Amino acid sequence: TVVPQFVFTKAQYDGASNMLPLFLGHMQYTTSYNDVAGFGSKYVTNQSSQTAAAFSRAYPNEINEIGIVIKAVKDDAGKVNMLAAAKIWRVYCFSRLTDLYGDIPYFQAGLGYDSTLYKPAYDPQKDIYANLLAELESAVQIFDASKTTFGTSDLMYGGNIDKWKKFAYSLMLRLGMRMTKVDAALARTWVTKAIAGGVIMQDGDIAKIAYIGTGQDINKNPLVFNLWNSDYIAQNGSTNTEGGKYQDVFINYLKSTKDPRLPVFSVVWVNGAPSTDTAIQKGMPATFINIKPSNFVTYSEPNPKTVLLMGSPLLLYTAAESYFLLAEAALRGWYTGATASSLYRNGIEAAMRQWAIIAGSAGEIATTDINNYVANNSLNTGGTFDQQMQQIYTQFWVSIFPDGQEVFATFRRTGYPALVPNNYPGNATGGKFFRRGLYPLSEQNLNAESYKAAVSRQGSDEFLTRIWWDK
Amino acid sequence: QSAQLRGVVKNEADQAGIPNVTVSLASNGSESSTTTDLRGNFVLNIPAGIGSKPFQLTVSSIGFEKKQITIEPGQASITILLKAGNSDVLDNVVVTALGVKKERKAVAYAVTEVKGSEFTQARENNIANALTGKIAGVNAAGLSTGPGGSSRVTIRGNGSLNGDNQPLYVINGMPIDNSVPGGAPTVNGITFNVDRGDGIAGINPDDIESISVLKGGTAAALYGSRAANGVILITTKKGRTQRGIGVEYNSTYTMENVAVIPDFQYEYGQGAQGVKPTTLAASQASGRFSWGSKIDGSKDYVGVDGKTHPYEAQKKNLQNFYQTGTTFTNTIAFTGGTDKFNFRFSAADLNSKGILPNTTYKRKTFNLSVNSKLSDKLSIEAIAQYNLEEGNNRTMAGDALGNPNWTPLEIANTADVRWLDPGYDANGNETIWNDVAIASNGYFVRNKWQEKDRKNRFIGQADISYELVKNLVFKGSISRDFYNYNYMHVMPTGTLYTPNGEYAGLKSDVSETNAMITASYKTSLAGIIGVSAMVGANSRKFNNDQLNLSGRNFTIPYYYSFSNLSTASTTPYNGRITTNSVFGSVDFDYKNLFFITLTGREDWFSTLSAKNNHIFYPSVGGTFILSDAVNLPSFFNFAKLRGSWAKVGGGAPDPYAINLTYSNVPSSGPALLNVTSNNISNPNLKPYTSTTYEAGIELQMLKNRLGLDFTFYNRKTTNDIVNTAISSTSGYNNVILNVGELGNKGIEVLLTGKPVAGKFSWNVSYNVAYNNSEVIQLAPGLKSIQIANTVGNWCFLNHIEGKPFGTLVGTRMVKDDDGNTVFNATTGLPVVSPLQELGNSVAPLTMGLTNEFRYKDFSFSFLLDGKFGNKVFSIFELYATRMGKLKSTLPGRENGLELKGVDQAGNPYSRTVSVANLRPYYDNYKTYSELFLHDGSFVKLRQVILSYNIPVSKIKILKIQAASLSFVARNLAILYRQTDNFDPEQSFTNSNAQGFESIGLPRTRSYGLNLGIKL
Repeated sequence: TVVPQFVFTKAQYDGASNMLPLFLGHMQYTTSYNDVAGFGSKYVTNQSSQTAAAFSRAYPNEINEIGIVIKAVKDDAGKVNMLAAAKIWRVYCFSRLTDLYGDIPYFQAGLGYDSTLYKPAYDPQKDIYANLLAELESAVQIFDASKTTFGTSDLMYGGNIDKWKKFAYSLMLRLGMRMTKVDAALARTWVTKAIAGGVIMQDGDIAKIAYIGTGQDINKNPLVFNLWNSDYIAQNGSTNTEGGKYQDVFINYLKSTKDPRLPVFSVVWVNGAPSTDTAIQKGMPATFINIKPSNFVTYSEPNPKTVLLMGSPLLLYTAAESYFLLAEAALRGWYTGATASSLYRNGIEAAMRQWAIIAGSAGEIATTDINNYVANNSLNTGGTFDQQMQQIYTQFWVSIFPDGQEVFATFRRTGYPALVPNNYPGNATGGKFFRRGLYPLSEQNLNAESYKAAVSRQGSDEFLTRIWWDK
Repeated sequence: QSAQLRGVVKNEADQAGIPNVTVSLASNGSESSTTTDLRGNFVLNIPAGIGSKPFQLTVSSIGFEKKQITIEPGQASITILLKAGNSDVLDNVVVTALGVKKERKAVAYAVTEVKGSEFTQARENNIANALTGKIAGVNAAGLSTGPGGSSRVTIRGNGSLNGDNQPLYVINGMPIDNSVPGGAPTVNGITFNVDRGDGIAGINPDDIESISVLKGGTAAALYGSRAANGVILITTKKGRTQRGIGVEYNSTYTMENVAVIPDFQYEYGQGAQGVKPTTLAASQASGRFSWGSKIDGSKDYVGVDGKTHPYEAQKKNLQNFYQTGTTFTNTIAFTGGTDKFNFRFSAADLNSKGILPNTTYKRKTFNLSVNSKLSDKLSIEAIAQYNLEEGNNRTMAGDALGNPNWTPLEIANTADVRWLDPGYDANGNETIWNDVAIASNGYFVRNKWQEKDRKNRFIGQADISYELVKNLVFKGSISRDFYNYNYMHVMPTGTLYTPNGEYAGLKSDVSETNAMITASYKTSLAGIIGVSAMVGANSRKFNNDQLNLSGRNFTIPYYYSFSNLSTASTTPYNGRITTNSVFGSVDFDYKNLFFITLTGREDWFSTLSAKNNHIFYPSVGGTFILSDAVNLPSFFNFAKLRGSWAKVGGGAPDPYAINLTYSNVPSSGPALLNVTSNNISNPNLKPYTSTTYEAGIELQMLKNRLGLDFTFYNRKTTNDIVNTAISSTSGYNNVILNVGELGNKGIEVLLTGKPVAGKFSWNVSYNVAYNNSEVIQLAPGLKSIQIANTVGNWCFLNHIEGKPFGTLVGTRMVKDDDGNTVFNATTGLPVVSPLQELGNSVAPLTMGLTNEFRYKDFSFSFLLDGKFGNKVFSIFELYATRMGKLKSTLPGRENGLELKGVDQAGNPYSRTVSVANLRPYYDNYKTYSELFLHDGSFVKLRQVILSYNIPVSKIKILKIQAASLSFVARNLAILYRQTDNFDPEQSFTNSNAQGFESIGLPRTRSYGLNLGIKL
């Protein structure tokens, strides 16, 4: 029989781990000299199918699991808090998916066992968004402090209802803001609602999944696990499995702004030991045509004491993100609770603090360093709307690292950070950033009619096709 | 007034009495016929009116030449000597279902029997491989997985969309297990993807007396659900009443070598972007790339060993990487017995070294067969077989990691593969030879990776039969085939891709237990109609208890123990199946002209829900001996017509298919629960049914010099259990449905001839079969289901409605109506078509031709076989294209590749790919499946045997009864093929996923000597 708590925990693990690390490359944090692992930064045509992986993984895992949980608790009045948390988690999982692919199976998804639905239809992203937001709104209403919760089976908040509400409103803020390009009025409505509900602004409310550094793989930080096994396990800076390093764009930016996070993020291996000496940090260009550069060891790579901690928590929604989104809301005049510049500063400060949450003392940044940095990098309130947006979302890029997938979403929406695409020989996009991931090839084979309908509605299943909110 | 003829039948060679010989009146066997007892004695009733003038007896027994003897009036006793002989279509007794011997002319379906000696001569480790080309309608192939590997045998096409489609193997009437521990390897597998050998691989050819292949439903109906794909009946050798102890010794030594060398380009050598490597770093970066400069013999080329070498073609990499494999087999058997008790004991040792150094397979088999006649009414028979099979470093295939075959096949064409030797440095860590760690150094794999498996197997059978009253026999049989299997596979510390290593292990206990009772009765009505009837019941229990061990990161480096892993998990699986059955059959014959057989069986399955867990299947068959009923022209010696119809219930599903189950997920932290599998279960499942009708004719002409056996069959599977991949968006990856319909119809022709008889004789046998399969229905709304896919989804294997079983599906380069390539102007690459059908993975047309010549003590035979009409997708060629090793990658090497075609709007399009960008351009060819698709048809010289019977009778002092020395060769030459770079039979899984070449071990040709001595 089903114990919904235990399935929920599995769904949290699976939902949190279903990411595409290739967006670290796409958002130019990292690259690789080889084509396979360098796909994100180089868009090598023959690696295109990598972008479909999150789609393939999601449905048989977290989507199905959360469906099992909801089915098990929905008719039990004593389990409304479980129902609400499960629904919010489902919104998180589906939003990550639709933001990558656009139209996806939503309303009919995950019903293979219950309804013998083997070929779910793809739903327009517009409809999916409407439902995701409605689900968030209704879910927060059904919490009841007198009823039981998931308790310790809830990896994120241990069943804390207030925090779940904040997470729900924060997702509402994130998804509401997503729609600024396609429907500003609708975006404003939801952003306003979210702010009124109360979003995550305290470090203690950050949505994160805690991990254990040893034992079963499922209990380890999935992003770190991926980075470790695909590249940095040898820990010598030289025989990186798939030839990965930080990309020059990221390291150059940190150096140019004298960012105190540089030594937290980055090391260079010198004589077999990792060095955080900022003077020698250097990112690798994304131009190597599948040939290992002879000075490979001299390039920067993730700091094993911070970014590569297997037992560190994975942050899914941070206080910093709220502040940056609120800063934009303030710029747009949708929020008057604080000025854009103070929110911007709060965002940077929160982002700098969060590395201590991830890595403990190794990630701690001295208050004086933070103060110096914010003093030298304040929001140019005299600039145009666009100039200020650029500042906010360039800072967002540094602050949300390593969640490349979320940065990819705001990058598509705002155009910032103003990255320059690589024009690698034989790339799939003609030297442009791709705007979405491809559907799995298997969908053409197994769900052909639905696939065709989606493609004819959304545009061809290609990298440059823009999804609804990116139009 | 009837009289009696008493006699004894003896083996001409040793004068020992032969049991179980059929002695009958040549004119009309039904009126009188008998079989010899254990000492060869018989008593035949001679009906009144026959004995008054000379009459003829027919004397026949399996393994002996049939004889006709004239009896004079008044003769009361006779001694008959039979000569041990080869397969002879005139043998009039064949083994049929449940081990029942039947007169050939009464058999209402095509049955083919092959003598054990033919398997002994072929010297295949796995006897199933030796069926290749021998029998019309039997499609047998060994795998490219080294010694101890599995086989794939299908009879009359694939009968089920998802079942394994292989026949049921039955030894002495009782089924054995033919599973591959841990399951068959997959096409897209990685790391520990090996073929661990099937059940039939454990049977020693020297223990086999004969093999009967029951091809279709009618033949197999009595075996019930697992016989839907045909039955291979193996009769093992037994003891005989004889003076003293007989000793047989057989020794074989064979060697094997790589048979097919790919046709690589040797114009441009190692390097990247048109430049050869002149530094170690550049050489390591391009170790698998033949994208360098023109091969010119220049002296500044640096190899991955860091040394300077002439820039020259290296054409012997396969020969240098692989060695000559050897197999040494010794069998000794003792036979003996009295009129009360007979035995045969054999012990055999097989020791095989694969062509990949450090790969070994050892098999020891011990077989004891005893039978005893405790009284005139009671007899018992028992067989015990113990096997010990040990595999070492079985070779992986599929994707790159840990697949040693990658290295010699994909290494740059100017690099000598031996530069990579030994594959590890002073610390034991893998040395770099190319740009990606996942493409393992083949020397490191063969020297440092570890694979060990050990199978302890015991097969025990016991029969007891009791003749209550004359012609009423009760028989009880019990058999148990049990093995315990231990497997461990280590990816060692220091592997470049996974520096801390990985471990996989499997422990499994598998048993197949059958208990059966039967009662049979034989009588004759009015002396004209013979009747024999049988009823029985069977209970089958199959258990598979396995424990999967897996983990990563050896805490203490280089120490390989499951307890030394920092992350480890153990997953138990218990599968239990019980099938209970009752069955019966009735045989009638009318004056030896008409024969009719009716059978029925009902099975109950434990893996189905109670409301639909049983099924009844009947069969009916008849034969008519035309040549006895009417006067045919004199050149016909024998003519028989036969027809039959049968319904056979197909297998019920594996356990856990009817209900959704949940399992905990191994966790070091919070409790985790999930569905056990992403297969949607189905409570309404019922067994599928396979309905076959067949008709045939058998002719013997020109004084038995020419024979024809023609069969037409039509086999249709309905309610097939289809385990189909579904869109993952349903939340599940597979669903199990009960809706499939699959048709197989075809013809089988066997032509036998004796063009020359006498001192010099020439026998010819030609068989050909054509099977037309069609997927008639999958599921409502489902036009296609997926069976397998390659690494990278470069090609799929699907069942498609209206198409044959197993259609390869992939992409093509899009062309416009005028044949111009259509380019995507954004990427500059040819447009990829949507997925489409590329061809059939199973050859519909199969044939074999055997010629045998005898002169005095010499015999020479050869077997040609061919398969036609299927397609093969080559993963090796796909990679070799990406690496610049195939000739098809030569255009553009000098000045760049000029592309011409049209863009997607139809306007002319052209561009030039610079030399520097050739690799990415050709690399992208992997997205066009059709480029690596080939016609898989072939004709092979499968077997050549030259034997000499040493005239031992002249050396009386040695007391040797018989001795023979043979030269045996298998897979000597491929006379016809359409694949330039590989053997079209290059498969490495015995699952339904055929049609893919997956960078397995190269196929080999083998040759050796066989010595047989009889004391």
